[in-house]
Amino acid sequence: MTYKPAALSILIGVAGLCGAPAMGQGDTDQLGNKVDEVILDDIKLAAQQTALPFLKGENPFILRESSWSGTLEPGKARLIQVQLFRRNEYHFWFNVPDRRAGLNLNIYDANGEIVDAENVKYESSNIVSLVVRPGVTGIYYLRVSLQTTIETPQRWSVIYAYR
Amino acid sequence: MNRNGLAVAMFAGMILPAVAQDAPGKINLQDPDLVMVDSSVIPIPLEIFSSLDKLGMQDWAKQVENRTILLDTNRSRTAMLFGLVVSDGFIAVQAQDKEAVKRIGREVLRLASSLGVAASVEEHANSIVNSAGTGDWAVVRVELDKTRQTVLKKMAELRDDELVDLVTLGGWLGGTQALASVLQGNYSIEGSDLLNQPDLVKQLKEDFNKLPARSKRGKVFAHVAKTLDQLELLMKTDDSGAISEGKVVEISLSTNNLVEAIYDI
Repeated sequence: MTYKPAALSILIGVAGLCGAPAMGQGDTDQLGNKVDEVILDDIKLAAQQTALPFLKGENPFILRESSWSGTLEPGKARLIQVQLFRRNEYHFWFNVPDRRAGLNLNIYDANGEIVDAENVKYESSNIVSLVVRPGVTGIYYLRVSLQTTIETPQRWSVIYAYR
Repeated sequence: MNRNGLAVAMFAGMILPAVAQDAPGKINLQDPDLVMVDSSVIPIPLEIFSSLDKLGMQDWAKQVENRTILLDTNRSRTAMLFGLVVSDGFIAVQAQDKEAVKRIGREVLRLASSLGVAASVEEHANSIVNSAGTGDWAVVRVELDKTRQTVLKKMAELRDDELVDLVTLGGWLGGTQALASVLQGNYSIEGSDLLNQPDLVKQLKEDFNKLPARSKRGKVFAHVAKTLDQLELLMKTDDSGAISEGKVVEISLSTNNLVEAIYDI
């Protein structure tokens, strides 16, 4: 079964139509102008919409308000440093506006070794997520990368939840 | 993933093999070509408390303090107080203390007003107070995180980047103090590893050291620098993967002394 919320499609569509790839370069969450902020908020909102089903039920994830964002070129990757705590379970979502985009999302420990995690894919390839249960408390590195299925750089957003 | 998580995941999408295509099995973290995202997200206290509670019920009520907050003209101190009070809110949520959460909701608004960002957080602060009244802890938790994030975002918009770092530091300090205090009262080797945060302390210390001198006026900021130096040495596990009881006591004392110094005028 796949997940297909109408609001998500609309938001992603709006973000894509606004021409996200043409926006400013560089990784930051303190963007320089309001147009960037609006588009970025839409990308984050789309990720939050996708996360919604995981935030309900008997043992829901708790979504953090904080997020990471930036611009990514096809074939390129970024690393995000995160402090995770043993016994918790973490769910990370990574998305970009262009529905044709292919994404990779992986997590590495403090020695740079890839950590076993469950990758979740959705109907549209421009959003992916990953569930991880850290074996030890400490620093980990999320690796986000954009595949070369498209040519235009993408604004991106990563959000996370824990339980 | 447990059965509940699996069911939700299957509803939401498709679970794939653990390692996606094109992902290297190992990355060289010293590679100069690696591009790190230059923005940090500091864990909120509830994330850490959530892990500790899995080891058994903890006495969070004992950590709820009812302090009188006296403000002065030092905005840097007010920013740290704001972070501390929000972390107090998370502790009160964990203790499910309605009156404390309501009081903290009102203090959050007063501090936000002093920092010039009250309009942005008023809605969240009111929601904290109202939801605490009805015991809707899930909403209080969300609204506290939103309050914190909204203030950080507003300050960044106002180019108050120094205050962003100080709010973040205050929030982390309050959570760490509570965690160390709980562990001191109920030490376990398993729980102690939650204090294993050397890289996080290092990052907070670097951010603090980069602040301009004008943002660190007052004797309390010398105390902040000294405490961060101490914590960087203390907050790392030994070869057995634990932090000793003695170190936990030191962390508790060190963080408690700094919190008291920030509250004192």
